[in-house]
Amino acid sequence: MRIEVARSGGFAAIERHAALDTAGRPDADRLVALAEAALTAGPARGPVVPDGFTYEITADGRTARCADPHLTAEQRELIRTVLGEGA
Amino acid sequence: MTADRAPAVFCTIVPPHVLDKMSGSADAGVSGAARRTLEQDALQRTRRRLTTVIGATGVTGAAASDRPVRTIHDAKHQDALPGRKVRGEGDKAAEDASVNRAYDALGATFETYLKAYARHSIDDAGLPLVASVHYLQDYNNAFWNGQQMVFGDGDGRIFLDFTLPLDVIGHELTHGVTQYSANLDYFGQSGALNESVSDVFGSLIKQFTLGQSAEQADWLIGAGLLAPGVNGHALRSMKAPGTAYDDPDLGTDPQPGTMAGYVSTSRDNGGVHINSGIPNHAFYLLAAELGGNAWEQAGQIWYDTLTGGSLSPHAQFADFAAATAAAAKARYGEGDQYRAVLASWSQVGVTPAVPSPDSAGLPRQQPGQPQEA
Repeated sequence: MRIEVARSGGFAAIERHAALDTAGRPDADRLVALAEAALTAGPARGPVVPDGFTYEITADGRTARCADPHLTAEQRELIRTVLGEGA
Repeated sequence: MTADRAPAVFCTIVPPHVLDKMSGSADAGVSGAARRTLEQDALQRTRRRLTTVIGATGVTGAAASDRPVRTIHDAKHQDALPGRKVRGEGDKAAEDASVNRAYDALGATFETYLKAYARHSIDDAGLPLVASVHYLQDYNNAFWNGQQMVFGDGDGRIFLDFTLPLDVIGHELTHGVTQYSANLDYFGQSGALNESVSDVFGSLIKQFTLGQSAEQADWLIGAGLLAPGVNGHALRSMKAPGTAYDDPDLGTDPQPGTMAGYVSTSRDNGGVHINSGIPNHAFYLLAAELGGNAWEQAGQIWYDTLTGGSLSPHAQFADFAAATAAAAKARYGEGDQYRAVLASWSQVGVTPAVPSPDSAGLPRQQPGQPQEA
């Protein structure tokens, strides 16, 4: 599974985009499970937060949008893993 | 876009006009989720408006204290807020430098609003100031969540601790001031104005605290936040938008200083951190023209505009420009200040809107009402 994460917004408004393919990775099962959970999470609870990061998670042709600080644990772990940056 | 696919995740970051379209979708999964999000959004907005009304009522009641009420929490690298309380008002300094910087900066921000504008805290009614430090791991951000300020440590590679620059803390707290006053919609031009107001007062808080005149100030946002080795001196420059950094990893500062460089984008809530360079530069030009301490006349005009009640939450640049001109005229007459306001907007390519007769001097939307889509 190819998983992409794009981040925009934030105080510094530095955009980040990264992708990974789970094929051949030792943590492939974990990542696929995280992606499934991230893509099917319910609606976020809470308003737009000034300076909050906004994210787009894309996998299997599906895209989920979410924003800090209203991320599920799975969304946060997936974003951190794919972007390779603190989240 | 995911409007033709289900299931999908809907977060409130999706622009309301997109959700409107989705809520009319024939797909029950899509329309139901979009409708729930809109309803949740409207609820939150109403709640914020109600908070504004309640805050405004508080002003006429008991006099608010001239002392801040600060509480700093340690999120301990988790995402639960606010985290463990580590320093309350009047407590002795903690061992943690981030905690003490946040505490001191909240105090400096409170002091500036009080002494320069006679404002008592975020809501002008003595609202306690709450901040959390050490949010998540290596987190390269700071934000205002509607109730409190939240600061990450930075990853040490690109960003240092977000509590380091005073103007960053002033910026976040000013998002609270805006929420309790003009409540500018965080999208598109009104969102860029929301961002710009936070940069303007963030910078003014630093200038007031350091005792710097407009000429002495660096007019930078986030100076001291970039890690050693990053090619840049800050995140934004009000004096020269687009020149704050130019780095292989960060890219080039994308801010325009005039309408000729206005960026249309759906990212970043419609480029709120990009196009804020335009009103930022207009403020700098005004402050430079008037000279002296920027928080005095230039800052007063912007403060009157933000808190005067005539600004719509949907205000565009032209509306804001007209409101600053009206504020300058109301406070200083049709003299140098008024002319300088008009000249500064002209230099950045913004023509002040001509108010329609029925809207002159009146808010276009009453607080407490949900916004139109």
